[in-house]
Amino acid sequence: MIQIKGLTKIYKLNKKQMKESKTTNPMKTAVDDLSLTAKPGEIYGLLGPNGAGKTTTLRCISTIIKPTKGEIYVSGHEVQKEPEKVRGKIGFLTGDIKLDPQFSVDYMFNFFGRIHNIPEEKLKARKEELFSYFEIKDFSHKKIKELSTGMAQKAAIAVCLVHDPEIVIFDEPTNGLDVVTARSVTDYLKKLKNEGKLVIISTHVMSEAEKICDRIGIIIDGSKVAEGNLEEILHETNTGDLEDAFFELYRNKKGGK
Amino acid sequence: MSGISQIFGKELTRVFRDRKMIFSIFLLPVIIMIGIMTLVSHLSSSAQEDVKAHNSIVYIQNAPAGFEEFIKTVDKNCEIFAVNDWDSAKEMIKNGDADLLIEFPEDFVNMVSGYHAGDVVPQIKTYYNPSEDYSSAAYEAISTGALEVYRQALLSQRVDDMASLSVFTVNSDNPDMIIQDEEKAGGKMLGMMLPYFVTILLFAGAMGIGTDMVAGEKERGTMASLLVSPVKRSSIVLGKVFALMTISGVSSVIYVGAMVAFMPQMMGQGGLGLNLTLNSKQIAMLAALLISIAFLYSAIIVLFSVFAKTVKEASSYVMPVYMLILVLGITTMFTTKAPQEWSYMVPIYNTSLTLQGILTQEVTMMHYGMTLGITLVLGAVLVGVIAKAFESEKVMAI
Ligand SMILES: Nc1ncnc2c1ncn2[C@@H]1O[C@H](COP(=O)(O)OP(=O)(O)OP(=O)(O)O)[C@@H](O)[C@H]1O
Ligand SMILES: [Mg+2]
Repeated sequence: MIQIKGLTKIYKLNKKQMKESKTTNPMKTAVDDLSLTAKPGEIYGLLGPNGAGKTTTLRCISTIIKPTKGEIYVSGHEVQKEPEKVRGKIGFLTGDIKLDPQFSVDYMFNFFGRIHNIPEEKLKARKEELFSYFEIKDFSHKKIKELSTGMAQKAAIAVCLVHDPEIVIFDEPTNGLDVVTARSVTDYLKKLKNEGKLVIISTHVMSEAEKICDRIGIIIDGSKVAEGNLEEILHETNTGDLEDAFFELYRNKKGGK
Repeated sequence: MSGISQIFGKELTRVFRDRKMIFSIFLLPVIIMIGIMTLVSHLSSSAQEDVKAHNSIVYIQNAPAGFEEFIKTVDKNCEIFAVNDWDSAKEMIKNGDADLLIEFPEDFVNMVSGYHAGDVVPQIKTYYNPSEDYSSAAYEAISTGALEVYRQALLSQRVDDMASLSVFTVNSDNPDMIIQDEEKAGGKMLGMMLPYFVTILLFAGAMGIGTDMVAGEKERGTMASLLVSPVKRSSIVLGKVFALMTISGVSSVIYVGAMVAFMPQMMGQGGLGLNLTLNSKQIAMLAALLISIAFLYSAIIVLFSVFAKTVKEASSYVMPVYMLILVLGITTMFTTKAPQEWSYMVPIYNTSLTLQGILTQEVTMMHYGMTLGITLVLGAVLVGVIAKAFESEKVMAI
């Protein structure tokens, strides 16, 4: 279970960043008083345009960055008070976390298995299961730097699931993958959900959110503008599909300013 | 403290599995050092040979009959010419075309044979050019050698019992002239050089790898994967620092080993002529101190690398520290005074002093303990600071 209560994240910009975003305000509010709850056995999707604050939210949950305000509980542990406990419960995957390019997929898998204190027997079984599911076996002895984007992404997914985490956090899980690989990833997320795990993902792909998410939270400019399953959101916005619903909400939010 | 050994193992695997890295970290510096030293000693010894092989060119003004014989006794290959034009002879010395110019007074033979008490003592003048190696050698051999033999010969014509003139001799038959404790002398020599080499080696060996281990991982985006795993920040830091210590330790052991093994080659035939034997207490003291120095240096390198975004930036931060450590090393190399009490409180500097002191057996247990303690405590404090920095999202730039 993930509970976010009033999360606010303000980045302090340095001069270069201020110049790049053409602002004189050194404070950038990336997430603004966001609250949500995601439960085991569901896939929760954070849907929003570029720069909405999706990645920032997921990073706060994963203890990589600290909330400016608010609390986040992961399986009952508060991210700032017990970060190590939280890290033990989650598997976090994002595009800018990479595996050591000089090592083979095998080595990295074993390395993180041992980091998570997984007994050798169990580690072997996990490897067998994940490597055959993601068809990694053929290139598991290759160094990460010799892999294609898709292969590397598959390897990263397998490594981040090595400890069979009860909560899986994926930032844009299908980004850069072909349809076949993307499908195998989303299928695996569904499998995790069916095993009773909590999966939380971010995406800006409407069709992906529609197809795999049990509940969707739409974020625009750092705040949540709608939440619920697909039907609830369509009903609330009085629209026929998610894209229309999204634009309706987007207009309201931007027009309201 | 789970995680330390895994991270330690991973960092070592990265280095020891990669042949290119093994070569560039452990072998290349050794090969370069041995190459340069061998070349230098070869060049200098061949320069000496060359001087020996050269036939000295000596010009003599007003040479008395039979004088050539005396020159030939000290340097049988030398070429002797009579001076025709004084100024051009001088010019030849200046240009290096001639090596030595000897000027006798015009009626030298008469002045010597017809000498009475109170007469002017005849003077022989020699001219040479000290910036020419050939000329210096000729001056040494002939001016101080041959002329002295000549003087003795002339004297013996005048006095019957030469020994009555000597009054006394100094060290003409005393092979035990030099009295020194061989061990202490060896220690002095090594004590001067070793702290210097150790600082260079331990630090230089860790520098390249250390910046890559931390700043490089940040740059490549691989650090974050460790940061979301349930290992303590301090375990990550210690794993990396220990790995760095090991690598710099191994590289300096190889370096020192190679230096000892190739010493005869590098120093020419003569060698240092000093032998050093360490007792087991000295070895234990050295080992503990060297390990603690490696720990401190590794922590320093990691600290600077943490605050850099790229390997390049990290190297530019670490470089000035390296310079500082080099300078401190040199300072101890040329200090002859007994160090002040407070100097054992100055980190890094005290390690050089103590290393020197262990080798010359002059360090007290108090100073040794102080140095060891300060080094370890400072290293531990730095590890703490690094672990704190790991917590900061600004520093880790994630
Ligand atoms: N480290 C940082 N320092 C300063 N500003 C940041 C930082 N990270 C993100 N931001 C800003 O915070 C805002 C939210 O960024 P975030 O990455 O969370 O968006 P996102 O929803 O994941 O977008 P995308 O779909 O493009 O990935 C953006 O305006 C971004 O410029
Ligand atoms: Mg993002």
